[in-house]
Amino acid sequence: MGKHEIRMRRQRLTARGTERFRNYDAVLKQHEQEKKMKKIVRVFTFFLLIVVVVVLILLLQRWEKGRDKKSEDRSQKIEVGES
Amino acid sequence: MSEAEIRKEQETIERAKKDPKAFGEIYEFYFDRIYNYLHRQTDDEELAGDLCSQTFVNALNHLGKYEFRGFPFSAWLYKIAGNEVNKHYRKNKGKKVFSIEELKVKELVEQSSDEWDEELITQVINYMNELPTDMVQVLELRFFEDKDFKEIAFILDMTESGAKMRTYRALDKLRSQFNIKVKYDG
Repeated sequence: MGKHEIRMRRQRLTARGTERFRNYDAVLKQHEQEKKMKKIVRVFTFFLLIVVVVVLILLLQRWEKGRDKKSEDRSQKIEVGES
Repeated sequence: MSEAEIRKEQETIERAKKDPKAFGEIYEFYFDRIYNYLHRQTDDEELAGDLCSQTFVNALNHLGKYEFRGFPFSAWLYKIAGNEVNKHYRKNKGKKVFSIEELKVKELVEQSSDEWDEELITQVINYMNELPTDMVQVLELRFFEDKDFKEIAFILDMTESGAKMRTYRALDKLRSQFNIKVKYDG
């Protein structure tokens, strides 16, 4: 046996049988909802990206400040040692 | 579909890209065909209804990316519908079902006598069960949905020669195995 199953149907598919599933308003509504959701996700992702960039900048500034302070302390110690 | 009809359809699609309400015309025109295609691939009315709605929602969501490639718009809808079916079977880990109308099998296999041999039909069905799934998909689109090879290649993401090769191989086997005539219009 393959990965499928063939079934034989004696009745033909008719347009009448499909009527209860035909609803363009529902399709349109779902499309609008998904579009809205996509927009929200896009805005949220953009916002998150900005937050990540700001945090990275702050961390970098803090690290640079720390490094400057350390090198200042070290030069002060050297000056004290020399005098 | 005539050139004029395809052109008119393209105009509707261009309108629908700006106003989704215009897509309603396309929906009404193709709903039955896509629903029946999905029903043949699931043998479940409710599931076919759900997948059909999702197919049209996806088409509407991605309509901006649609480009005319010389086929009727239905080819794109069949492609989306096929992806929806595959997604469903992947998610549920079920066996893919092809529900084929008896009349269509009779149309495919031309018998010499007027009386239909039920045993022969059962054997043909069993034979189709043994074929690789992609071969059955090609046969389904060619003979049960009346698609040409160029369109089949687009729908199933394969080359036109690949689609032809799969069809001819399956039909050759069918002919030699059952000693019957097969509707074969290439």
